[in-house]
Amino acid sequence: MSKVALELCINGERHEVLTEPHRTLLDVLRVDLGLTGTKENCLEAECGVCTVLLDGRAVNSCIVLAVQCRGRAVLTIEGVAEHGALHPIQQAFIDHGAVQCGYCIPGMILSAKAFLEERPGATEAEVREMLAGNLCRCTGYQKIADAVVAAGRAVAAGR
Amino acid sequence: MSFQYHEPVSLAEAVDLGARFGADGRFLAGGTDLIIQMRRGKVAPRHVLSLHRVPGLDAIELNGSVRLGALVTHRAIERCASFQGRLRGLVEGAEVVGGHQIRNVGTVGGNIINASPAADVVPVLLALDATITCVGADGERTLTLEEFLLEPGRTARRPGELLTAVRFAVPQGRTATAFLKAGRRRAMEISVVCVAARLTLDATGERCVEARIALGAVAPTTWRAREAERLLEGRPLTPEAMREAGRAAAAGCRPIGDVRASARYRRLLVETLVPRALARCRKRFE
Ligand SMILES: Cc1cc2nc3c(=O)[nH]c(=O)nc-3n(C[C@H](O)[C@H](O)[C@H](O)COP(=O)(O)OP(=O)(O)OC[C@H]3O[C@@H](n4cnc5c(N)ncnc54)[C@H](O)[C@@H]3O)c2cc1C
Ligand code: FES
Ligand code: FES
Repeated sequence: MSKVALELCINGERHEVLTEPHRTLLDVLRVDLGLTGTKENCLEAECGVCTVLLDGRAVNSCIVLAVQCRGRAVLTIEGVAEHGALHPIQQAFIDHGAVQCGYCIPGMILSAKAFLEERPGATEAEVREMLAGNLCRCTGYQKIADAVVAAGRAVAAGR
Repeated sequence: MSFQYHEPVSLAEAVDLGARFGADGRFLAGGTDLIIQMRRGKVAPRHVLSLHRVPGLDAIELNGSVRLGALVTHRAIERCASFQGRLRGLVEGAEVVGGHQIRNVGTVGGNIINASPAADVVPVLLALDATITCVGADGERTLTLEEFLLEPGRTARRPGELLTAVRFAVPQGRTATAFLKAGRRRAMEISVVCVAARLTLDATGERCVEARIALGAVAPTTWRAREAERLLEGRPLTPEAMREAGRAAAAGCRPIGDVRASARYRRLLVETLVPRALARCRKRFE
């Protein structure tokens, strides 16, 4: 199958890739661009470890074709910290001990980022509902929920 | 997966490509079903026609009737302020689809074309007497949603036809809608049973003049419980009438038993959830 030349905008940087149309954004991020912070697991949009932001919205990159991302902005975990400073959500995960093995965390952080930009004052119940599409096999979610609620307050205060 | 990728930039071009490739092509909307089916090898289209650059297909229009473009996402339905009143049931259907990543991209058109008996938005649309519009090589046609849904995974869409919109009248007067879903957990779960209801009361608020009850996951397609509707129409909306409707719906549905629930349990859920959805509508009149 013939390849297509694509220009992708990832974390504010332009990347040229040459790829087949069936390849997913997840695959191109990890294999072609070496951005392995975005994780891979179920490949069926169930677990959320592959979550990235596409034009600011959380999507499962395992079911998005790379060709569909032409001309759109992709944000991965590698682009969340700015100028070497952790994002308040990342800091909150550390402060609350919300990370165990860490595999689910990039997806968690990106889901939380898109969510808190709209609803910084979210309650724990709303946060838990939002996290439905991000599975964690380690933490039991309590510390993750605490971290996201706290980060929401920090984001709101920073405005 | 191996296919040629196309990105039409106008409705005419999308319809053209659809007609040209017919059964060899598939439209790609949110991809939450199609990409997964393709990866599993269940479908292997030679041409994939992504719709995301077709202008206007994601519009919600309200003027006497509501027109949802086929690419309207569950997220957009959830957030449409005009749906908070009499159309609250539509929001309730959209807000329980998958997780937020799924709702951000999954569309109403994909929910319909999938023709899953367990779809969550379809029952609400059925309860609203929705019609759908398809455009293909032979031009445009409009069908009722009910006649469009044929069996699990199959609609009356002709090969290559593009679903462009779903339409329904804006509910008037003393009308309320509600949607309830039972799954094994609260979120990210396929419905074991789901119920959509629409009730209209007469001007005095005493009697029910129109009732619609549509159920998911209890028949090969989303199913209207007509007998239950008839039991309600023309009568006061008493708790007994609502329970009777629940029993009629449970008796009339044809659920299967599968990994999620037995047929018997599904019937029990119908008997319980129908009166509950009706009571939720009634509460909304207050
Ligand atoms: C993890 C997960 C959870 C889910 N949870 C739910 C749930 O709780 N409730 C629920 O109802 N569904 C659920 N779904 C199913 C699915 O997300 C929805 O049905 C969604 O609405 C499908 O829309 P889409 O835009 O992603 O469709 P796509 O995958 O893009 O398309 C689906 C089918 O429709 C065709 N199609 C799409 N648009 C058109 C058009 N305009 N004209 C002609 N053909 C078209 C495609 O060719 C394809 O055959 C879930 C899916 C996943 C992966
Ligand atoms: S790998 Fe994408 S959701 Fe699991
Ligand atoms: S920390 Fe291990 S999966 Fe979440």
